[in-house]
Amino acid sequence: MNIISEIKISPESVFLNGTLISSKGITELYREYVGNYPKFFKMDSLCKLGFIAAELLLRDFSIEEKEDCAIVLFNESSSLITDRNYENTIIDPENYFPSPALFVYTLANIVTGEIAIRHKIFGETSFYVTDEYDESYMESIVRNTVLTSSPSMILYGWVDYKTENDYLASFKLMKN
Amino acid sequence: MDNLIDQLKKQIIEVLNLEDMTVSDIDTDAPLFGEGLGLDSIDALELIVLLEREYGIKLTNPAEGKAIFKSVSSIADYVSKNRKK
Amino acid sequence: MIVKIADNILSPLGLTTDENFNSILAGESKLAVHQNVFGLPKAFCGSLFDRERLSKILAESITDSADLSFLEQLCVYSALQALENTGINPANPDVIFVISTTKGNVEYLSEDRMDKRSYLAYSANRISRYFANPNKPVVVSNACISGVCAQIAAVRELLSGRYRYAIVIGCDVLSKFIVSGFQSFKALSADACKPYDKNRSGLNLGEAAGTIILERTENPISEAWQYAGSSIHNDANHISGPSRTGEGSYRVLIDLLKSVDRSELAFINAHGTATAYNDEMESIAIHRAELDETPVNGLKGFYGHTLGAAGIIETILSMKAVDNSVVLPTRGYEVQGTTYTLKLSNQKKETVKKAFIKILSGFGGSNAGIAYRKGGIE
Repeated sequence: MNIISEIKISPESVFLNGTLISSKGITELYREYVGNYPKFFKMDSLCKLGFIAAELLLRDFSIEEKEDCAIVLFNESSSLITDRNYENTIIDPENYFPSPALFVYTLANIVTGEIAIRHKIFGETSFYVTDEYDESYMESIVRNTVLTSSPSMILYGWVDYKTENDYLASFKLMKN
Repeated sequence: MDNLIDQLKKQIIEVLNLEDMTVSDIDTDAPLFGEGLGLDSIDALELIVLLEREYGIKLTNPAEGKAIFKSVSSIADYVSKNRKK
Repeated sequence: MIVKIADNILSPLGLTTDENFNSILAGESKLAVHQNVFGLPKAFCGSLFDRERLSKILAESITDSADLSFLEQLCVYSALQALENTGINPANPDVIFVISTTKGNVEYLSEDRMDKRSYLAYSANRISRYFANPNKPVVVSNACISGVCAQIAAVRELLSGRYRYAIVIGCDVLSKFIVSGFQSFKALSADACKPYDKNRSGLNLGEAAGTIILERTENPISEAWQYAGSSIHNDANHISGPSRTGEGSYRVLIDLLKSVDRSELAFINAHGTATAYNDEMESIAIHRAELDETPVNGLKGFYGHTLGAAGIIETILSMKAVDNSVVLPTRGYEVQGTTYTLKLSNQKKETVKKAFIKILSGFGGSNAGIAYRKGGIE
């Protein structure tokens, strides 16, 4: 499998295949490149980030081409940003209203599910948590994926959302 | 009643993150789920939380929600009859 | 070839695989209604560790146990038990740790939102470092399917040739965070759950840890449990609701049937959470895969849903069942309650078959399965 495209989204810049294409925030990117998927606004920050990064790499492929794509993502903070928001709904006994819409996003792998739903991908979805951004570690896990499965494409990479000013999606798309 | 309906619409837009929608975009009698606003099962659960937090109404059985959450007018009707706050 | 060489189950039913297996054969469960635990305003039915009693046992077995969280101690204890008598030195570079957990130490968030112990990799590193293992542990976070995904990740690490042994640990403990979330989802049954039953009304949550040690070898011992095949598929349907067509789970089963034959299967150990939608979805997937004649069981009626541990402990118990020529009962099941009739029973049955399929499904629309086969006598 060869890498055919890549995307890097941070608060400062968006690079598609090495070219700076935007310096907009995640919601502005959604308005520019998608615009008609209201479910986007229900997602937590991690999912919005992963969703838009995947969109920019997968939008030119047909449903058939994407059906068997594997999605293998990594990060350090798992879903902690939403975990903390959910915790805020249960911490005060006087104001205890656990939110199901937040709770469902307290799992990092939901971002792989959101991407799968958007692109009708029925392939493998996997999420790994590691202590640092490490390309060779990610690549070794991704290479190993094909030892027990035969996806047509693999979308893989890093998606970590720490704060409004500190996030990174760095995805690559591999194809046979 | 009209006040309650507008208030409910505002609250629904906020808790369900219906970005780009305003109170006037929501038809009071139109179905909320399926066709209408395209709400789903998580939205229904979030509406249960809304009723409890804002109006002191406890729904224990999500099946009860089906009839109540048919439209904004059916919610308003239920809230006005059952609200504790 | 990948074989299982050791295992452990640490649960409210016992500290060893044998204690757990014997409890299940005796029909036991620790599912009970708990009031006023974890600071929860509402009661829930679940299977909980006796923390006071267990903490003493953990402290006796684990050096400097106070440095580790309860969850980390459970993982270390379970791995120590599994390692006993294997002769494996976990400090060797040919050993990799694979950790499966959904929420790790999430309870620390209630005191300090930035507590580094709530980072899953931080916690996993503490577990592998306890054993002086030099490799970065693999941490799988795929919600409810993590326990099977961790085994698959381990198999891949071994097949890559980089490692000889994989120590796969699954663990979750309950907290206000997790229980309140499932309560907000109205997903919990008020009493012991009833998988696949007509009157099922939701799941129970449970606590457990489990360890499976896998080895890559060309010369397996006779009657060793061999990895046969695995698969992961998404439903591409909804982030919390199971697919109405069972698409992801069906695709998993079809993949697994490339490595095991229907006629070999002693049973399918299914997810069987006892929610209306999960069990119905599985019945559709199993029917579509033409596995209606294969016995099916679910073990959540004994343990509840043990989240990141479920895939590990249910795999171990399935191996143990075949070792003893039985199909374990589905505790709580009474009346057929899914669209397609599955071959379920609340009584244990005999079997002479030597392979099984373990499947799971969960949040994120994810589905995973793994198949194992027991080798013959040489």
